[in-house]
Amino acid sequence: MRFDYVKPRDIMDISKVKKAGGILFAGGTDVFVKMRNKVMNPHLLVDTKGVETRKIDFDGKFLTIYMNTTYSDLLRLEVVKKHFPLIFKIVKTVGSPQIRNRGTPVGNVGNASPAGDFLLSLYLYEASCVIAPAMREAKISELVKGPGKLDLGEDEFIHALKVPYLQGYEGYFEKVGARNAMVISIASIGVLMKRKKNVIEDVRIAFGSVASTILRNKEIEESVKGKMFSQDVFERIGEEYEKLSKPITDIRASADYRKKLVRNLPLKAYFNFKGEIP
Amino acid sequence: MRINFRINGKEISVDVPPYKRALDFLRDDLRLTSVKEGCGEGECGACTIIVDGKNVPSCLMLAVELDGKDVWTLEGLVEKGDTVIQDAFIRKGAIQCGFCTPGFIMSVKALLNENPDPTDEEIKEALEGNLCRCTGYLKIVEAVKEAVKMLKAQGGKP
Repeated sequence: MRFDYVKPRDIMDISKVKKAGGILFAGGTDVFVKMRNKVMNPHLLVDTKGVETRKIDFDGKFLTIYMNTTYSDLLRLEVVKKHFPLIFKIVKTVGSPQIRNRGTPVGNVGNASPAGDFLLSLYLYEASCVIAPAMREAKISELVKGPGKLDLGEDEFIHALKVPYLQGYEGYFEKVGARNAMVISIASIGVLMKRKKNVIEDVRIAFGSVASTILRNKEIEESVKGKMFSQDVFERIGEEYEKLSKPITDIRASADYRKKLVRNLPLKAYFNFKGEIP
Repeated sequence: MRINFRINGKEISVDVPPYKRALDFLRDDLRLTSVKEGCGEGECGACTIIVDGKNVPSCLMLAVELDGKDVWTLEGLVEKGDTVIQDAFIRKGAIQCGFCTPGFIMSVKALLNENPDPTDEEIKEALEGNLCRCTGYLKIVEAVKEAVKMLKAQGGKP
């Protein structure tokens, strides 16, 4: 496979070459795998690392993660571990140390995989992104249109991710797969919940790998707000999401098995929050 | 494309085609055959090299991306006499066919540079990206602990 390679020094130049048909990459952990599997055959690869990487920023309201920041960079930050524990936990399950040293959160959004673990965390936090070159902002959940599909103009690309800081939430994340490292999940669940005297004040639930994008449904979430934190409620959440999920059968698991996971994973979340599963 | 970088402590300047992977360039052109291709998709770790202090899969990297970097392969560690990890692998019998070994050693090197006294859990986490189909990993973890001991006995210097 032959292609050209450029490494622009500024945002406008990246924008120009993207418009000319270039495929952007930072760590290459998705792009090179897709090229090897002939899912992608670009004539021009655009290395975004020529642009100075701005440091991850936390201003007390938002965590801003800029392009070219790697997962390893994120894990090294005390502020992520302390104020975004669920993101910290999810990032620790991404790929392997080698992959985390190369792969980037911005790239994960760009790849828009329904199995994207980091993408799932962004749905839970209701994160937005800053889109270059005009630096317009958009909600991540509105930007992602399907597997590998983003609502971006020809000259547009993701410059940064903005994750709102949430206080008083408990988090749960589980990835079902064949082994620990390098697992592309059969299905995954992430939950953020806020309780007051055992009444659910707020709950956010998202599933990975069970639909064409990350699955999150506000109606189901609204329907359990104000209810007592109980097994019944989480059973009902599982039933409702099972109806909504549209999983596929692939090499990793059957659609039926995935449906069962969607039904049962909320229960596992419940017992975890209850402290009955370590 | 012209690239300038440091390989195993030596500065070099070479022309590489834009589409060549770092793995192919190091292995075929520079004959650094410790860099091996296993899966070619970043899952097995056989092609692990150290770039600017971090272990990375050279199969998911272009040769042109090495420009300006400080790159190490197992050959470089041997040349400068930094063989503690290798010696520990031999001592503990953490090798069978040997195909995965260079990749493992580079990941252990990156780990011990950052964390000279890792727990068992930290060792396992650090080696999650390296697959071995022969040993069952126990001996590899033992070898890393042995290397930690040997390094401590040497006062932390390789």
